Amino acid sequence: MNRAGMGWIGRLILLSVIGFAIAMPFLWMVTGSFKSRAEVDEGSIRLLPENPTADNYPILLNFKPDAHGNYLDLRFGRWYFNSFFMSLGITVLQVLTSAMAAYAFSRIQWRGRDKVFLLYLATMMIPGLVTMIPNFQIMVYLGLLNSYHGLILPAAFSAFGTFLLRQFMLSIPPSLDEAARIDGAGHWQIFWRVVMPLARPGLIALGIITFLGAYRSFFWPLIMLFDEQYYPLSVGMLSLDSSYGRQTELIMAATVLNVVPLIILFTACQKFLVKGLQLGGVKG
Amino acid sequence: MNKRFPQPAVFGFLLPNFLGFLVFTLLPIGLSLYMAFTNWSLRPQVGLEFVGLRNFQRLLGIRQVAAAPQIPAGWYILAGVVLLAGLVGYLWANVAHWAGTKIGGTVMAAVGVVTVSASAATAPSQGLILAGLIALVCGLASMLSGRSPHVAAQREGNAWRPGAGTIPALLVAAAALVLWRTNAAVWSAHAPRDERFWQYFYNTVYLMLGIPVSILGSLGLALLLSNALPTGSAGRRMGGAALCLLGGGVTLALMWLGGMPDLGVVGGLLWLMAALGLAFNVVSFRTIYYLPTFTAGVALMILWKAIYNTKTGPINVAIAALGDWLGFSWAGPNWLGSTAWAKPSLMIMGVWTAIGGTNMLLYLAALSNVPQDLLDAAEVDGAGRWARFRHVVWPQLAPTTFFISVMSIIGGLQGGFEQARVMTQGGPAGSTTTLSYYVYLKLFQDLDLGYASAISWILFAFIFVATILNWRFGKGLEVEL
Repeated sequence: MNRAGMGWIGRLILLSVIGFAIAMPFLWMVTGSFKSRAEVDEGSIRLLPENPTADNYPILLNFKPDAHGNYLDLRFGRWYFNSFFMSLGITVLQVLTSAMAAYAFSRIQWRGRDKVFLLYLATMMIPGLVTMIPNFQIMVYLGLLNSYHGLILPAAFSAFGTFLLRQFMLSIPPSLDEAARIDGAGHWQIFWRVVMPLARPGLIALGIITFLGAYRSFFWPLIMLFDEQYYPLSVGMLSLDSSYGRQTELIMAATVLNVVPLIILFTACQKFLVKGLQLGGVKG
Repeated sequence: MNKRFPQPAVFGFLLPNFLGFLVFTLLPIGLSLYMAFTNWSLRPQVGLEFVGLRNFQRLLGIRQVAAAPQIPAGWYILAGVVLLAGLVGYLWANVAHWAGTKIGGTVMAAVGVVTVSASAATAPSQGLILAGLIALVCGLASMLSGRSPHVAAQREGNAWRPGAGTIPALLVAAAALVLWRTNAAVWSAHAPRDERFWQYFYNTVYLMLGIPVSILGSLGLALLLSNALPTGSAGRRMGGAALCLLGGGVTLALMWLGGMPDLGVVGGLLWLMAALGLAFNVVSFRTIYYLPTFTAGVALMILWKAIYNTKTGPINVAIAALGDWLGFSWAGPNWLGSTAWAKPSLMIMGVWTAIGGTNMLLYLAALSNVPQDLLDAAEVDGAGRWARFRHVVWPQLAPTTFFISVMSIIGGLQGGFEQARVMTQGGPAGSTTTLSYYVYLKLFQDLDLGYASAISWILFAFIFVATILNWRFGKGLEVEL
């Protein structure tokens, strides 16, 4: 490197400029959310708001009337809650059921095990679009259309999660559960006391992937929900855009509110990120 | 151990997941396959009927729109003879020595497809269909089993002889040309039964052209990030960072006082990036580059919709302002609203989202696995920067590139729904409707579950073929390089 001399300074500048270019839309989003109604309509080139106002956030959350003196006809706060409720529900259920199934596939010997696992693997190749259509029909039959159950249940079980955790559990030495068995532990105890703690990195990775996927999910909630009160943010953003799309400052504030939880999650999970998302890359 | 731990435990552990798998994965797959062969509709008045292949015929079939001219039988005979000659010559060349099979095979298979579809499109001649099918099967077989010319040349210790597979393949191509010439009139007398399907298929593939750009970009960023910044001891690093922060502060203050706060913020942020880079090295850049991928979703699409806004969006405002400054009256393109710009707009957004994402991380991981001694040896041999990259690094990255490409193609084929639904409604004039959005339209405009399922299965077929082909070629790539 020293041979390159001061070349690294050029590289630092290049990296900084690229970083700035990538961050630019975010910057515009944040400053835009503090602009006033009038200023946005002007269409000025200015990045910073001339008369900064924080009103857009309370307006969006229905704490304040908007510039025309009306409260927005939407329930942003509720959508926020729905998104978290749905994503957390899906994450907890999916990680739990996947871990249990992975235990059955990696720790217990039974006849036909590999065949059933192969079946799981084969279904991973089928695009989600294929199962989406009949799942809609199944929701009609089960009477779960337009409900939290219908949002959460289909995503609570996943072949991918089972596959991921099985691979993870296979790398945990079997001698550990042998030892636990000799001490008189049953499967349930081995699962909770031995395998689960050791599989923690895998569980966290799957948890992040699942949470992200659920928080972003759009197609499924879009087709199966009719009531605004059940909307997650992703679908809610769509109705916000169609009713108030011309009020860019509100859209920007809503986008900020959408993205902030993800950025918090991102910083909190930095450590697991690279590994987890590489695993996620297998899913595509 | 099975004796002490009875199998019933399996049920306890597997049952919750398996039930869900059964109801929400297996059953839907079966049901979807069944639906694709029915007229299953959400309209209550439509009685459920099994319609066999009708959905697929409607999707892929061709209908006559004008009187089709008759084609002299001589053309068919000529095409058949040339095709047969090519086939025989090709097989003979390959029996002699196995070079060029891969290229020849690919050409062969392609010609087979053309022949079959051409003859199916015109007055179906069973002989031609048969010839095409033979070409297709032979081509696929040698494509999958054959060695690539590079490898063959290395193994046999002689230069690659293009004659082996290529000349017969050219003959076959000539046959295809003959077919095409003869059938031009016939082709124009026919049109696809579902023209929208083909248009949307084209859109899907067109939008995927952004993929190579984003993959190359990810590779470039990974290369930039793969070397740590040699900034010296912790003390010096922090000192440098503090200096950069100071520089940023001064820039911001000066610009602000000078009445240009926007430029101050931009300059200050650039200094801040450099400061972060000095303090945390490339990790900070990796984090920033990764942000668009991590936060991707409907919200960011709506953000981009605002960015592309013709009147108030920053791009067009900047173009207009630049024009003003130079004394022109410039107006930016109508980004999402014009058929010419809608696809590029979505592609630009896609590249921005993906460039610093998972692909970059995968490349970074792969780059850190390139053995240093290989690079050193190449340098000792006098290889320059580019030569080292081309002949040492790039081959080592081949499996990663292959994996990323396969995943991107699979994702791209299924993609475009959210963009279309959120940003463009598939328009203008259907120019951003992809296959996945078409499925949605069939579901909720026409309520035609059967047809929608048929589309989704065709999509699956494309994905399946892409996976298999890439897998084969990817393997070849690894050996070849």
